[in-house]
Amino acid sequence: MSMYQVKPIYEGGTKIDLPTCMYKLPNVHEQRASSCFSEHAHQNGEPDSAVRALEARQDEIMRKLFELKAAVDGLAKTVATPDADLDLTVSCSLASPSPTACTFTGTADLDTLLGKDLGALRDIVINANPAQPPLTLLVLHGLLCQRYRVLSAVHVHSSVSGVPPQLLSCLGARLTDGSARNLFQLGFTLIWKDVPKLQMKFSVRNMCPVEGEANVARFLFRLLSPDPSDVGQATLVDSWVDTAFFQLAEGGAKEQAAALRSLNAALGRQPWLTGPELSLADIACYCCAVRSGAAAAAPTHVQRWMKACENLGYFSRAQLQ
Amino acid sequence: MTKEDAQGSTAEETQSKKGLKKQQKEAEKAAKKAEKQAKLAADQQGTEEDDFSKDQYGIAAMVQSQQKLDRELVRVQDLTPEMADKVIWLRARVHTSRAKGKQCFLVLRQQQFNVQALVAVGDRASKQMVKFAANINKESIVDVEATLRKVEQKIESCTQQEVELHVEKIFVISQAEARLPLQLEDASRPEGEGDEDGRATVNQDTRLDNRVIDLRTTTSQAIFRLQAGVCMLFRETLTKKDFVEIQTPKIISAASEGGANVFTVSYFKTSAYLAQSPQLYKQMCICADFDKVFCVGPVFRAEDSNTHRHLTEFVGLDIEMAFNYHYHEVIDSITDTMVQIFKGLRDRFQTEIQTVSKQYPSEPFKFLEPTLRLEYTEGVAMLRQAGVEMGDEDDLSTPNEKLLGRLVKEKYDTDFYVLDKYPLSVRPFYTMPDPSNPKYSNSYDMFMRGEEILSGAQRVHDPQLLTERAIHHEIDLEKIKAYIDSFRFGAPPHGGGGIGLERVCMLYLGLHNIRQTSMFPRDPKRLTP
Repeated sequence: MSMYQVKPIYEGGTKIDLPTCMYKLPNVHEQRASSCFSEHAHQNGEPDSAVRALEARQDEIMRKLFELKAAVDGLAKTVATPDADLDLTVSCSLASPSPTACTFTGTADLDTLLGKDLGALRDIVINANPAQPPLTLLVLHGLLCQRYRVLSAVHVHSSVSGVPPQLLSCLGARLTDGSARNLFQLGFTLIWKDVPKLQMKFSVRNMCPVEGEANVARFLFRLLSPDPSDVGQATLVDSWVDTAFFQLAEGGAKEQAAALRSLNAALGRQPWLTGPELSLADIACYCCAVRSGAAAAAPTHVQRWMKACENLGYFSRAQLQ
Repeated sequence: MTKEDAQGSTAEETQSKKGLKKQQKEAEKAAKKAEKQAKLAADQQGTEEDDFSKDQYGIAAMVQSQQKLDRELVRVQDLTPEMADKVIWLRARVHTSRAKGKQCFLVLRQQQFNVQALVAVGDRASKQMVKFAANINKESIVDVEATLRKVEQKIESCTQQEVELHVEKIFVISQAEARLPLQLEDASRPEGEGDEDGRATVNQDTRLDNRVIDLRTTTSQAIFRLQAGVCMLFRETLTKKDFVEIQTPKIISAASEGGANVFTVSYFKTSAYLAQSPQLYKQMCICADFDKVFCVGPVFRAEDSNTHRHLTEFVGLDIEMAFNYHYHEVIDSITDTMVQIFKGLRDRFQTEIQTVSKQYPSEPFKFLEPTLRLEYTEGVAMLRQAGVEMGDEDDLSTPNEKLLGRLVKEKYDTDFYVLDKYPLSVRPFYTMPDPSNPKYSNSYDMFMRGEEILSGAQRVHDPQLLTERAIHHEIDLEKIKAYIDSFRFGAPPHGGGGIGLERVCMLYLGLHNIRQTSMFPRDPKRLTP
């Protein structure tokens, strides 16, 4: 929001004697520019999706700028003092995610989400079949990277061979090697493996492996933002995720068409699938639509929504195929 | 009284009955013997009388290179249905022979391949020839001329299942003694199967005492072919990476890692030691601008430990390389080499792997590419989560190593991983300390199936720091003077590690004892064969 702030033209503090013979109204000039904006949004009943998308993009730009600044600072430090530890600079650049940088707000405390810290990296291991790249998880990985310091790694299991190069680099470039692993908050290890169903292993001692891309996506999304407090809303998101994976991605032509119709109907009423905010439902549906190739013949509202998704930037990972 | 009497009489009666039976039996035996002798005599007479195939069998004269026959010997593995109906010569061992009336079935073995051969009485072979074939001692080497024929039903017990040999000539080239110290079938029986059926199995010591015979089993053949493959792939991969193979002396003047566990040999008027690792020489080569070196050769450890994974002499595959900025360049290089070896074995030695797994079943070896790298603190955290109590700087005990291996396998499904950043206190003096935390070091171990196969580190290349570390470890500076001096005249940063060839083979194949992958193992209790 800092972009919208301008210096007040009028000094709000000055008291003006007003006649009291008439009824009273609040002073327009005393309100801040920002609250003015939110008031404007409230007056319209719901925020404009275009403004939100613009905001998100600006946040993204700001975040990137912050990162760049931190990286340059770190680099300057190494150049100025050659003895400085390289690991430290990396941690500096990573440790400065500004609060505005994130699209999703909520408690960022991994300790409360994932249990107590044992002094080691919390590594999420995902076994995926290279024949079916988990696009949703790649998008969610991008979002996790914005929020946390994530150590990502891609491996190829001995059960498969000949994995295409774009799958090997699907989590972005490997971080400058040599940085200590315990400086990261979260590990994201993607293993291309001959598995019939996508599988996530996190805490092997007290969690059974989670199967299915949809379920893993739910788990990852909860690290970003807590479940909607409204039970109905939460169920709606879940049901959209199921629609995405069972009808859009795996269903026949008829089922796909039906799913697209219901998507269109929902998107006619609101900017995102489950209301004014982007949710897991949008991510799942978008990725599944891209995977199944249903995007080309999509109805108008769906087309608009897909454009909106693409404008957000972090969906580019889903263009893998 | 009467009762006792009665008992006594019955006892006598039974005894006399027994005696009668015994006599009867003896008489029968004698009769049989006489009959046999008569038969033998008759047979001999028969032999003398008419043996039309006299020239087609017999014990050949000792090969003293009298003549150079223009005869092509076909290899057993090449006997395929495509060659059917051809007359061929081959040389093989008699694996088993089974006579049945007018026929005699032989299984002829050549290395890990075998084929069924049949000698039958007919217009080409006489009765005497069949008898001779049946009486050839097991493990004798024979030259056979035979016609290759397709069979209708697959022969399940042989490797060449679709063909059999109809023998026309058979000559013994080298005769084996009749009694073998161990039976090959017993030695190659799958684990656990012998116990159930009450059949004999051969224990490890008997095998090793008669190593030459034990090495003939298909399993041993496969193990050592695979071991040669490991060496070949190691050389191949490193040569591709511009490494230079070096040869280092094994008789050295000072022990590289403390004096307790080295062999002392008398060396003219002084004493010398057998090298525990080519460590110092590898490093000196780095200082001499060889950049990347490797070395395959014997390594000696005088540790009196009688475990399933310790030998006193084994083959070390050692790597040392100079790196640019970070020792992870070395880790990447070594792990990539290992992955190339695993891949090569998987792709090129599949038959050998399957042969071994028939006798010693194990899960196939799994790995990740690039190799998984965990840090020591993470490993400790995983162990603590599993309920193991240990300090931050404690060394991993063998059971903990295995447990950690299991935990890693459970989560990442890999049998091969690297554990990085060991505590400095548990590593040798030449290990480079970690710059950000002096309690830890730039050292690493690699594990296969939860057992350590490689231990390596970035070495200290600064003479001053090296001296400090040596003093800290209370090492006599005089003894390692030459070593420290080699770093005085400019030494590049470098690191490396050493792998035990036998351990790699053992763990890749999932075997339980390192003696199985050492051809002539040496341990504190075994010096022969």
